This record gives sequence, C-alpha cells and structure tokens, in this order.
Amino acid sequence: MTTLDIYIDDKPLKVEPGKTILEVCRENDIDIPTMCHLDGLTDVGACRLCLVEIEGVNKLQSSCTTKVSANMVIHTQTERLKRYRRITTELFFAERNHICAVCVANGNCELQQLGYKVGMDHIRYPYLFPSCEVDTSHDYMVMDHNRCIMCTRCVRVCGEVEGAYNWDVMNRGFNVRIISDFNTPWGESGTCTSCGKCMHACPTGAIWPKSLSGEQLHKNPEMISELVKKRKMNL
Amino acid sequence: MKPGLLTTSAELSKTDPRVKLIAAKIKKENARPEALIEILHTAQNAYGYLPMNVLSYITHSLHLPPSRVYAAVTFYHFFSLKSKGEHTCLVCTGTACYVKGAQAILHELEKQFGIKAGHVTADQKLGIQVARCVGACGLAPVVVLDDVVEAKVNADQIIQEIRAKIS
Ligand code: SF4
Ligand code: FES
Repeated sequence: MTTLDIYIDDKPLKVEPGKTILEVCRENDIDIPTMCHLDGLTDVGACRLCLVEIEGVNKLQSSCTTKVSANMVIHTQTERLKRYRRITTELFFAERNHICAVCVANGNCELQQLGYKVGMDHIRYPYLFPSCEVDTSHDYMVMDHNRCIMCTRCVRVCGEVEGAYNWDVMNRGFNVRIISDFNTPWGESGTCTSCGKCMHACPTGAIWPKSLSGEQLHKNPEMISELVKKRKMNL
Repeated sequence: MKPGLLTTSAELSKTDPRVKLIAAKIKKENARPEALIEILHTAQNAYGYLPMNVLSYITHSLHLPPSRVYAAVTFYHFFSLKSKGEHTCLVCTGTACYVKGAQAILHELEKQFGIKAGHVTADQKLGIQVARCVGACGLAPVVVLDDVVEAKVNADQIIQEIRAKIS
C-alpha cells in the first residue's frame, strides 16, 4: 500500500493517504484538543480548537477537516497555537452562561476539562450573558441552551446515526440556537425518537437526563463511536 | 410520531392561488429536496413572508426534516417567518397588477395608514406587505386581506374594508 511521508512536530511519519491530520495525531499520541469532533461522526470544523500550523500554508487549518498530503510539515504545539486554544476556550465560556458549580456535568464535562487543560485561570473577555431558554418539555431529558457551545454533535448524531433529524441550528451569530423540528418544544417534536444519543454525544451539561441531580452525570460519547463501528460490521 | 406536527396541505385552502403557485413550483422541481431554497423563494414572494402552515406543507412535500427547513429559513435574512400586525394587507406588485395600477393602490394605502410597505402600524393592528406575484394575474389588481384574495380592487374599497377590520 502506498504511504505518504509527513512530519509532525519534527517527527517523520509514514501515513496512509485519506486520513485527516487529527486522525494521524491521535494514532501517534499527539495531543490536540477538540470539541466538535466525535469519532464516528462527520467532521465539520466548528469549534476551531484543533487548529494546526502547516508550513507553506498561510492560514491555520483545522486538523479534523484537513487531510494529510505528501511531504506536509505540520506543527501542533507552537506558542501561537497554545495561545489560540486558550482564547477559543475563553470565548466558549464568555459566549453563554456556564456556571460549573450548579451544573449536573460538573466534574464530567469536556468543556470544563478543556479549561483545565489550556490553563484557563480567568476569562479576559466580557461575558455576553445571552438570555437562553431551558427546554424541559421532553419526558426525561432537558436541553439547557445556557450550556451549549454549538459544537453540533447532537445535530450530527441525531441525523447521521439515529436518522431522526430532530435537531438542527437556527439563526446566525449571537442568536444561533439548537432547535428541534420547527423550533418546537423538544417534548412536542414529531421526529425525536427519545433515543438519548444526543445526550451522550453532548460534551457539556447542555443535554442531560431529568433523573439526575448535581454532579451525577456520566456521559458516554465513546458509545456513539462504537455504535457507528458496529453498524458497519453487519454481523 | 405525535399528530399535528407534519401538517399537510389540509390546512391550506386549495383554491388559494398562492397555494397553487407553490404546488406548481414543487411539481416543476420534482419535489427535489435540493430545490428547497427556490421553493421558499416562491412562497415568500407569494405571501410576503412564510406562514407556518405553508412551511409545513413544503417540508412535507419535499420529505425534509422540519429542523432542516427551519434552519434554512432562519439562516437567510431574506426569509421572514412573521407577518407583522394583527391584520395584513398584501398588495401584489407583479407585472399584471402593476400594469393595472397596483402601485397607486399601494401609495394610497401607505398614505392612509401612515406606514410604508413592510411595516406595521404603531398599534400593531395593520401590516402592509407587497408580494411579487400571488399567481392570480387574471384578477389583477389583486390585494390579499388577511387570507382573502380580493379581485380587481380599487383603493377606496380596500381602505374601507381595512377600516372596518381594525376599528
Ligand atoms: S447541545 Fe451539546 S452537543 Fe448539541 S451543540 Fe450544544 S454543546 Fe454541542
Ligand atoms: S475538532 Fe476540529 S474544529 Fe472542532
């Protein structure tokens, strides 16, 4: 099989064509923070955390949506990238109303872990304090838009894996929100199958089961990746 | 599936020329989901905005998820989901109506109620809108008052009818 020669952080690697930079990094234990990527779902490059530098390319590229090509020289841990990752993380927190202390996901939240990882000790940007709804209309799950980072993992898992297409994104910019059907309360959706995959895919406390209270939430996004693999196996 | 969500054309009047216009457009496009934007344009041009039952009808006809249609509609500023105002007066400004004096009718309405097309009176009672063609050219000039298509209108008669509605 043909392989490509590439360099990541000065390390020479032989890789299969067709893979994304992120896939290659994960296989080689090179740590790149991500939020919108979830193994098994189509990558959309929404969160901009996985940016890398590629020599000869002016702009930073999202590693989840950029495929490797011959003789690429990639840097993943430069000072500039670290600075950007921290800025991006701070902007997530400033954009909505994330209050870890009162969140069911406290201690089990990918966003919170990201904050620790990039060394976020405070937020240098003004909080936007948008007014966000909490949709409690579903029988046993809650959608809290205050805690959503618009990664669209719920949207993709619902369409690509469950095939229900209950979720999508409405509006733009400051006003973007995840919606169910025609911006219908979740509990009145005609398409939701109540499978709970979005709850597991969601990296924050935005989607959570009603049966839980403080800090009990344990999500299992790997289950989604496993499910996608198993569905292809055709046993 | 819970009832009532994916409403069909049942709620729409089959004789409404605007409904026929949209149905024809959907047929012309072979109900391809990729033609969504084109079809929404037709609907918006006919109604001046996108009423929810019309959206349901389009969604149903194209077999698209409602969320996808709503996402497209709210992404583009051209589309509007709201008919503003308790009552709406939609003046067709398509070619046939234009030739038969739609512009003069519109001016007169704007003057009488003190608002421009696309706006609502301060008391929220009346919104005036324009449509590019409601698909009833044989009846020109056409004005649609709330949901009633009025044929071969003149300005005085329409103004009287509106006054009766909003007083
Ligand atoms: S609800 Fe969760 S999974 Fe969905 S976009 Fe928001 S943060 Fe992502
Ligand atoms: S993981 Fe690549 S942009 Fe989010």
